[in-house]
Amino acid sequence: MPYFRGVCNFCGTGCGHLLRVEGNRVRGVYPLSGHPLSRGRLCVRGWHIHELLQTEDRISQPLIKDGSSFKPVSYEEALDYVVERVKKLPGRQVAVLGSPRASNEENYLLGKFARAILKTNNLSLSSDAGQEESARVLLEGCGWPAMTGTLAELRQADFILVVGGDLTKQNPIIASEIHHAHRAGTFLATISPRKTQMARLSQLHLRPKPGTIFYLLQGLARVLVEEKAIDDDYLSTFTVNSQTFLEELKQVEIEKIVEATGISREQMTGLARKLKESNSACAFYPTGVQSLDRRTMAALFNLFLLAGKIGRRGSGVNPVTGISNLLGSYDMGLSPVFLPGYASVEDELAWERLENFWQTKLDRWSGKNVDTCLSEGEDIKALFVVDHDEEIIRHVNRIRQLDLIVYFGAYENPFASLAHVIFPRTSYVEEEGTYTNSERRVQLVLKRIEPPAGVRPLWKTLTNLAQALGHDWNYHSVENIMSEISQLVPYYRSLTYEKLKARLGLKWPNDDLHPEGTDCLLVEEASRRFRFVQVNGQEKKLAGEPEVQKDFPFKLVVGRSNYFWHQNSVMKRTFIPKREYNALLLLYPRGFVEISKEDASRLGLREKQVVRIVAESAEVRLAARISGDILPGMLYIPYFIDEMIPEFLHRQVADLEKNEEFFLPVRLEKVV
Amino acid sequence: MYWLTKEQLPLLVQKLAEEYKIFGPRHDRVSGEVIFDHLPDLSELDLQAAIPYNPPKFILFPHYEEILKYRYQPETKKVRIEQLNLLEPKALIGLRSCDLTGLLCLDRFFLDQEYVDEFYLAHRKKLFIVSNTCIRPFPQCFCVCTDSGPAAREGFDLDLTFTGRDYLVEAGSKKGQALVEELNLVEADPESLNLRKQIIDDSVSSFDRFALENKAWISRATNRLTTGFIKPEVWEYIGNQCFECGACSFVCPTCSCFNIEDANLASGETSRLRTWDSCSFEGYTKMAGDHNPRKPVEDRRNKRFFCKLSYSQSKKYLRPGCVGCGRCARVCPGDIGLPNVVTYIRREITGESGE
Repeated sequence: MPYFRGVCNFCGTGCGHLLRVEGNRVRGVYPLSGHPLSRGRLCVRGWHIHELLQTEDRISQPLIKDGSSFKPVSYEEALDYVVERVKKLPGRQVAVLGSPRASNEENYLLGKFARAILKTNNLSLSSDAGQEESARVLLEGCGWPAMTGTLAELRQADFILVVGGDLTKQNPIIASEIHHAHRAGTFLATISPRKTQMARLSQLHLRPKPGTIFYLLQGLARVLVEEKAIDDDYLSTFTVNSQTFLEELKQVEIEKIVEATGISREQMTGLARKLKESNSACAFYPTGVQSLDRRTMAALFNLFLLAGKIGRRGSGVNPVTGISNLLGSYDMGLSPVFLPGYASVEDELAWERLENFWQTKLDRWSGKNVDTCLSEGEDIKALFVVDHDEEIIRHVNRIRQLDLIVYFGAYENPFASLAHVIFPRTSYVEEEGTYTNSERRVQLVLKRIEPPAGVRPLWKTLTNLAQALGHDWNYHSVENIMSEISQLVPYYRSLTYEKLKARLGLKWPNDDLHPEGTDCLLVEEASRRFRFVQVNGQEKKLAGEPEVQKDFPFKLVVGRSNYFWHQNSVMKRTFIPKREYNALLLLYPRGFVEISKEDASRLGLREKQVVRIVAESAEVRLAARISGDILPGMLYIPYFIDEMIPEFLHRQVADLEKNEEFFLPVRLEKVV
Repeated sequence: MYWLTKEQLPLLVQKLAEEYKIFGPRHDRVSGEVIFDHLPDLSELDLQAAIPYNPPKFILFPHYEEILKYRYQPETKKVRIEQLNLLEPKALIGLRSCDLTGLLCLDRFFLDQEYVDEFYLAHRKKLFIVSNTCIRPFPQCFCVCTDSGPAAREGFDLDLTFTGRDYLVEAGSKKGQALVEELNLVEADPESLNLRKQIIDDSVSSFDRFALENKAWISRATNRLTTGFIKPEVWEYIGNQCFECGACSFVCPTCSCFNIEDANLASGETSRLRTWDSCSFEGYTKMAGDHNPRKPVEDRRNKRFFCKLSYSQSKKYLRPGCVGCGRCARVCPGDIGLPNVVTYIRREITGESGE
């Protein structure tokens, strides 16, 4: 059978690929050279997506918990089970966890199900920490919640700054675009404490101490002012609060920043000058599981605004999403703070619009994300989860106390065993759907194979549940849902399946003014004004840093790597990426912690020597892996939960997973 | 040599379709991409299409293939093995000479050594190959540097050369000759031989104008690699840019490395799978007891080029393991496809500055 065109579903790059379908099986994959973004490239994950789609670990029928195991039931029985239990619960006692891998249509419907039927505003995604902050920072700064430029333009930039994370691992093909730009002459700088591959590919690598990127970016802004490299005309024409910002910036003392970050004034000046001299400058930072914190994103935006790089073609600040439909899931309002289309939950008019549109009364109380729901108080009694990525497993004890857990998933998953009811769902090539990548490109994935017999797509199951709870949604196809989305989400106004079928995606906003999508909206409106994003006093304080303490002299940071991506729940179902994962894991069966060469030799540590990492209230034993990639004083644990990060991190630091700027003060002891 | 008119081409394809599953280049309408693909709809075959982004390797050596199925019966302690029939007659129409050369390299690996790979053989046995001369090179091509084009010299059943309107046909096998006779093709006069030569010469001399993406001075690099005098810094520079995706191996018409996995099926059977593998992966050379002769990425990278240009393919097959198709250069996220690597090696030889 032939190759079929499609879109990779792993990270937020959204590369084009060809799937080789034989019978009803996906038997191979090949990059699509005509794709405007990936231009014929795939990363190690993308090259093995067919292995994932082969897996036999499917959930193939509805299941209800029966003692310690599950019994297969009909859809009707499973629906009845849920309806009976959920209709008694007030919305405040229910939380809904969506999946950033699910399509726009599925996530839109899940949000509608939560708000309109379950009457809960407790809804969020797993792995969403950074994306929400990023959208809020950008909305405040420029009224626009996502990448201000496009990926296709980045090869034209003459200055690129990558901050935090490791794009070569999280979004390899975007990193490849950046690398190509650099090879063609673009100045490329990376700011990250770790010597990542992105850093190795850069001309300049600034390595601030963990947790100090914010100060470094403030320092760069301060240096721009000192160098008199500010365009006052630009600031007075395009920004509204530059005076306040400049006034506050005066309080930033370079000496203190040099001390805090370990970066010299000369290095800062060098980079600031390059930024100022550039015609078009882009910044990239990862969002998703691993991301920057709010203040650092704000400082980065402010730096670029101060340098006059916002609202110019080929320039801008660009968040890069780590998971296929992370951005789209937010576009659909799967968040406690945004309604569909980024309307604020504080906007009464938006609520009324939604009520009219959905023909039902909605509750306005302010919802929380699922993580917060589970870690605070005992209010939550029921949890609805789609395709969980093993992340909230750290709340496992709390989850076990819940009265009702409903799981919707395509693949078997350790989380599913906690559920009371399990609904199977189709995988991403078994049903149509759209996915929105980092650069706002909405791409349609068509159905290429039949799901296992009897398995319904998520939208059908949700529609059935809605029906059973007294709401007739009347959807006959996924396309119906998209036409509803296009009426409700302004950015998706003129998107249709017909249009998407004939194109390799369209970048939102896609409306009457932009029938072919939009590259950079900010340059279109001459009247648009930008704001320097507020960073509150608490966030700003140097003294507020968790000081390196005498008892806990090391800063422990967690990060991600190619094969250990997403706690491996996905990669485990492949062969080659799994082998690579095992290759490393077998060397360090109890996990490892990276330590710098300098510290290792000071402490007299050998490679693979077992050490104890002690934090304030917990400790763990791991093998030492001596690395030239991390700074003295820093320890690094790659991020793959089940095998590597035991109870220690589950209990200790939910925040460690949220952003790489966060670290845990620990001490390291030899095990004798 | 014979003449095949434009009008006769569909007849030829039709004739082959009676006996073989037809593969050939087609266009994807939305992306414009040329894909070498199975063609249930024969009218999709486009012999004028550019070189396909995928080599025909997947037809003989699939990305993911079940090669054996067995069931273990615990009660009887017996294993029942199911024989799979992979034999299926296939015709590859419009193969470019680089890809045909790649296929012949695969033949040498899978068939011409002590161990004959029966799965590859099953795919290869009933194959009909129609090659297609490149009357003009494509931007990424450098087959003239690797002695693999722009026209085929061996390995085909029929070879086509487009002359502007019709095709000159050369039969390369008895099967091919029989088909020519069955179709009653007109025999070409001796001048036509010169015409074919002229077309190929023109193609070769137009590389300077059209094939501008890559240059690969393979022979100098082979020489240098074979004598082993390349500074470690050069490999380190190359290794730093490797994203470890495996794409260079997957798209290479001559790369033959594979992995074997046994996957347990829900039915209780076990499926033995053969999948593509790549020397760029750390797990590829990993051995028991925590040994890995090629652990650092730069060592894995140089392994690839030693294999292509020195000990494995070049010394054993007496030709480079590269056919000059330029695919690895386009697919590589790190921009270290073979032509660039050859350039870095050459720069080291000549002492040119630069990267």
